[in-house]
Amino acid sequence: MTVIAKLTTVELKLLAREPGSIFTVLIPLFILFVFGSSIPPGDTVFLPITLVIAVGLVGLYQLPTTLATYRERGILRRLSTTPVRPGSMLAVQLILQFVLALTACALLTAVAGTVLGAHVPSQALRVAAVFLLGTAAMFAVGLLIAALAANGRTANGVGVLLYFPLAYLAGLTQPADQMPDILARIGAFTPMGAFRQALHDVWAGLTPDLLLLGVMAAYAVIVGLAAARFFRWE
Amino acid sequence: MAVIDVAGLTKRYGGHTVLNGVSFSVEEGEIFGLLGPNGTGKTTTVECVEGLRRPDSGTIRVLGLDPIGDGRALRERIGVQLQHTELPDNIKVWEVLDLYATFYAEPNDWRKLLEQWGLGDKRDARFGKLSGGQKQRLFIALALVGNPKVAFLDELTSGLDPQARRATWELIKQVRASGVTVVLVSHFMDEVEELCDRVAVFDRGGIVATGSPAELIDEVDAEHQVRFTLMAGAADDPVALLSGLPGVSGVTRDGDRVSVTGRGDFATAVTSALARNLIPVANLRIDKRTLDDAFTTLTGRSFHP
Repeated sequence: MTVIAKLTTVELKLLAREPGSIFTVLIPLFILFVFGSSIPPGDTVFLPITLVIAVGLVGLYQLPTTLATYRERGILRRLSTTPVRPGSMLAVQLILQFVLALTACALLTAVAGTVLGAHVPSQALRVAAVFLLGTAAMFAVGLLIAALAANGRTANGVGVLLYFPLAYLAGLTQPADQMPDILARIGAFTPMGAFRQALHDVWAGLTPDLLLLGVMAAYAVIVGLAAARFFRWE
Repeated sequence: MAVIDVAGLTKRYGGHTVLNGVSFSVEEGEIFGLLGPNGTGKTTTVECVEGLRRPDSGTIRVLGLDPIGDGRALRERIGVQLQHTELPDNIKVWEVLDLYATFYAEPNDWRKLLEQWGLGDKRDARFGKLSGGQKQRLFIALALVGNPKVAFLDELTSGLDPQARRATWELIKQVRASGVTVVLVSHFMDEVEELCDRVAVFDRGGIVATGSPAELIDEVDAEHQVRFTLMAGAADDPVALLSGLPGVSGVTRDGDRVSVTGRGDFATAVTSALARNLIPVANLRIDKRTLDDAFTTLTGRSFHP
């Protein structure tokens, strides 16, 4: 078996044994059931909100905490004494965390679409494009946290501190049209807010605003580059 | 043939010189120790040799390879146990050995290592549930899983109880017996004296002496003591007699207890003088000179500040 395949298998087992990754699936599912039972049939607002919550949990908690903990424990450093580069571990983690976000979202969409009667868009390509851009933007923020945090605990704390204001500005805690106008406008320029709004557009059958796509792409590239610039292996 | 050749190694961090012209070589099949208090550059030196750090100047060859330029080829042939590293708490013992074995072109059979290092019954245990000694044995097994020619072990018995330390020492001797050259970084004198064929003594960014533990101890010729108790019926006072012997620098007497201080092989002179003069003594003890004494003499300061 190749190194990457073996590394992926072992890291996947570790991810499944980690309570945090189970919560990133269970928390949005719980929110979906508690608040989603009262949504009107064909609703296009609520399901995108739970999807953004799920991707946000993976990007802002799970990814930075895992990577910062690996660095803190010297796991990346230990790898760099073997023929395998620690970059392989980073790549495997990114793939697995992406799969975790994808799994959570697929589960939420399946449950909401069947049990709760929420609207599920048919334009798969647009959904995929928005999902990829939004996830890339959230992961870039998570990678920057991992790059700058001294240890796993700090990474986790910074993730929590960022999550709530971002979730508020993104209109995850209350509908965006009930927020003060200025906050809703600011929200469109945050990675979570742009993601939520663009998903909502796709759900409503609209073409997502190019500005929102641009905002997500900009976060993914600029914050991602900053993360690469500041990332330390030890 | 020298397995490791280091010449003129220097390393500075922000204007502070950490290594100042470190040179040594390690022969095939020996256990070579880097000994010194914390903060004297041992770990930095070994990390340069492993290719984890880039020296500012100097040359390093390990198995004929340059640790920076030929890093990938070198990492196939060395095994490393680092200070202060952990593994994910939830990884199982067999999983990490199996994983690390796939990193190398010609690995050892990890199942054999598992048994050899006494971890057979911990095969399915998670790393977080292991005791300190079991974790340490796992790290050594991991350092050997790639079938290395040279193993680097940094502070391998830190935090272990005395019994676990002794057990680890025996296993390290087995590693050498299997043909692996071992580089041991340690701040424990007893460990180095017990295990190492040769030692480089570090103090403040440089090597102050290199040799076998016995050579280092003999070389420095530190002051040491012979003690005994005068038995009832010893008529003469031995103080004056012993003070005049060659090598003796001082004699003190407290009741029937006598302590003689000196250098070189003065103990033989003391015992034969006592016998010649028919002075009966008991509890004769010659204090063993140790690497501790050697270090103090070499550096002018105590090893344990």
